Amino acid sequence: MEKIKNNKIVKAIGFNRIVLIGVIILLYVLFSVLTPVLHAGTTFVSYERIMSALNYAYFIGFLALGVTFVIATGGIDFSIGPVMFASALISGYCLTKYNVPLPVCLLISIGVGLLFGVLNGYFVAYRFLPSFITSMASMQIAKGIGSVFTKTQSVTWPASAAENSWYRYLIKWNNIPTGLILLCIVAAICAVVLHKTRAGRYMLCIGSNKEAVRLSGVNTKRWEMLAYMICGLLAGIAAIFYVGAYTTVQPGLGDTFNNEAIAACVMGGTSMAGGLASILGSIIGAVIVALMQEGILAMGFTISYQYVLTGLIVLAAVTADIMSRKRKN
Amino acid sequence: MGEVILTMEGIDKSFPGVKALNQVFFEVRKGEVHALMGENGAGKSTLMKVLTGIYTRDAGTITYEGKEVTYHNPREAQAAGIVIVHQELNMMGHLTVAQNIFIGREFRKGPFIDDAKMNEEARKLFQRLNIDIDPKMTMSDLTVGMQQMCEIAKAISHEAKVIIFDEPSAALTEAEIDRLFDIIRELKKQDMGIVYISHRMDEIKRITDRVSVMRDGAYVGTLITEECTKDDIINMMVGRVIYEEPKTESQVAKDAPVVLKVEHLNAGRMVKDVSFELRKGEILGFAGLMGAGRTETLRAVFGADKKDSGDIFLNGKKIEIKTPEDAVKAGIGYLSEDRKRYGVVLQKTITENSTLACLDQYVKGIFIDGRKERKVTKKYVDLLKTKTPGIDQLVMNLSGGNQQKVVVAKWLVNNCDILIFDEPTRGIDVGAKQEIYELMNQLVKEGKSIIMISSEMAEILRMSDRIVVMCEGKKTGEMDIAGVTQEKIMHLATMRE
Repeated sequence: MEKIKNNKIVKAIGFNRIVLIGVIILLYVLFSVLTPVLHAGTTFVSYERIMSALNYAYFIGFLALGVTFVIATGGIDFSIGPVMFASALISGYCLTKYNVPLPVCLLISIGVGLLFGVLNGYFVAYRFLPSFITSMASMQIAKGIGSVFTKTQSVTWPASAAENSWYRYLIKWNNIPTGLILLCIVAAICAVVLHKTRAGRYMLCIGSNKEAVRLSGVNTKRWEMLAYMICGLLAGIAAIFYVGAYTTVQPGLGDTFNNEAIAACVMGGTSMAGGLASILGSIIGAVIVALMQEGILAMGFTISYQYVLTGLIVLAAVTADIMSRKRKN
Repeated sequence: MGEVILTMEGIDKSFPGVKALNQVFFEVRKGEVHALMGENGAGKSTLMKVLTGIYTRDAGTITYEGKEVTYHNPREAQAAGIVIVHQELNMMGHLTVAQNIFIGREFRKGPFIDDAKMNEEARKLFQRLNIDIDPKMTMSDLTVGMQQMCEIAKAISHEAKVIIFDEPSAALTEAEIDRLFDIIRELKKQDMGIVYISHRMDEIKRITDRVSVMRDGAYVGTLITEECTKDDIINMMVGRVIYEEPKTESQVAKDAPVVLKVEHLNAGRMVKDVSFELRKGEILGFAGLMGAGRTETLRAVFGADKKDSGDIFLNGKKIEIKTPEDAVKAGIGYLSEDRKRYGVVLQKTITENSTLACLDQYVKGIFIDGRKERKVTKKYVDLLKTKTPGIDQLVMNLSGGNQQKVVVAKWLVNNCDILIFDEPTRGIDVGAKQEIYELMNQLVKEGKSIIMISSEMAEILRMSDRIVVMCEGKKTGEMDIAGVTQEKIMHLATMRE
């Protein structure tokens, strides 16, 4: 066991990540076997199923990437789901009701996300509010603003082949999962930022020992705020991938996605105590979350089972994290 | 003074690497106030913790009311009648006085708490002590002095026979201290044995009957307070053999330029009008007892805490230091007394910690220049002889001395000219200590200037070129190393106005 753990390649990817990839394969096999049994006349093994699971993995993946930065600093952001919805609603409303050009709408979506990131970051970093409370509050604000802006109507983005529907190519083009490629590119950028730049180094150190970093002469507030801004920005991007997959957005929803994105992070080895984060882990976690929801639906269960499972996964992953920390001390 | 109620004999207690108590003897009689004195780290608190079961003793006996006893926790000691009144008050501010006194053993009427009975019982306690406090008042509305009296009332409500006061007067005003002493006299009359731990000589003379002195974990002796002078006590406290040769004269030229000048610094309760100068190539020692305000002073200089007023001059030029960022930019580095909390990022590598203070010098474009970073880390690991399997080792896996070296490296990588060492060798073993001393001497030889806060007399005498002594937030003296004695420092360190 120790030998495997000390292998160079295993170390580079992380033992935990390799186990998770095993979990993905296991889940896939499990669902493939169980689906025809539980839900007669259906199958799990198909290209459509995979594409459908990926659709879910994209936006959860972007949300998870963003919140990884926040968790790395030792904070939390519970507003990402509703912020994503607010982005999709406001930009979609601009597109469909005010005929704002599509590229501008995409920028509006990202801008709304970024704005919420600034709001969260300011109150956490410069006003010393607990991130838990701050993001709870901005979650309510995001839900409310989305509803107010659209006058409590749902917004439907242009469907395939309609005018202004090229944004859908971002997730799928000629049956090629372009979304996966884009997610991987953004993930790679995130990994570089987190592990190869000053910003990432400071964020991780702040998560481990903020006061020591401050006493080293680092402007901790600035870097802490930046983490929330990245998180908001990625929630705005996630919105584009959400509508790219599902077109319709309803106001007043979105909070279930927070938990799934955070679950993806903690599964992937990002510590809720801060200081330790894995971008690759968050992506793998997002894929597991997406696969599970696809499998649960395929087997004929309702989505409520997914909520129960996500909750259990968070409990298990955080417990494992805390236990491994205790062992180390 | 009555018969002996408590005797501790031959008490030993070791912690990894330190013998904290060595064959200590201590006794308390009924109706006496017995002072327990000694420098920082002499073992007073450890002895009291052994008595009340917070620590387990390695050897020795405790005899209480004629019976040999061992307590496993403060609760057991309390039940037997041995109670500590702590320096820091453990009170819940939003509860009433009576609720605080009876916390954990509330009177009840059926399933409900009987507040009326608690108030009545608390009132009786206060009457016994001749104190006028309304038990129904909210704790946070009381002054610190009154809160302490509540703590005392809580102590005697446990049917205490021995009460230990741990620096009770530290936070009190003169009038409150007078009240405290009235109460202590009252307790004395009621035949309780009282242990009084304090650094304040005048109080010792005023209130105590006998004085026992500890030094370096050992019992030195006991004096009758009436028959001794302040000097007698100081001599017993400091009369240790100093193994390391103290410095005899300053290594700094008289005309060396002043690199840092602090004028009339005020910050909070603990820093009152402090001024001092630091010369190039000098080690300026800050001596004083615990709570003298030395750390607070230097933290304010460094921008870690807010200043109320005062000016700072760097090389003759006035500068603003509002945050540690400003201080680091000005070339000042601060090594905290609490390394783990304020010095290192434990879960990160030596490399990451070494460049933390000046990471902007180790970037190429937008990326961190890993090679350059590793090179400089390697250089300082070798230079400081940091013992580690590699520079990618997490700092949490290093020993205390080596962690300290990582903090030193952090400031050297940033090329700081002024270094503030706050208790540089606390919790570090003897060998590593020696290396830190050599390192400090090496640094000043290279033209850096050091401020060293230390509570170890030997360290102050050995390292400093000049010494500033503080007591209760004020600077009480400053002197050249030539002609300094332990007694002189101790006089200044206990010089209250």
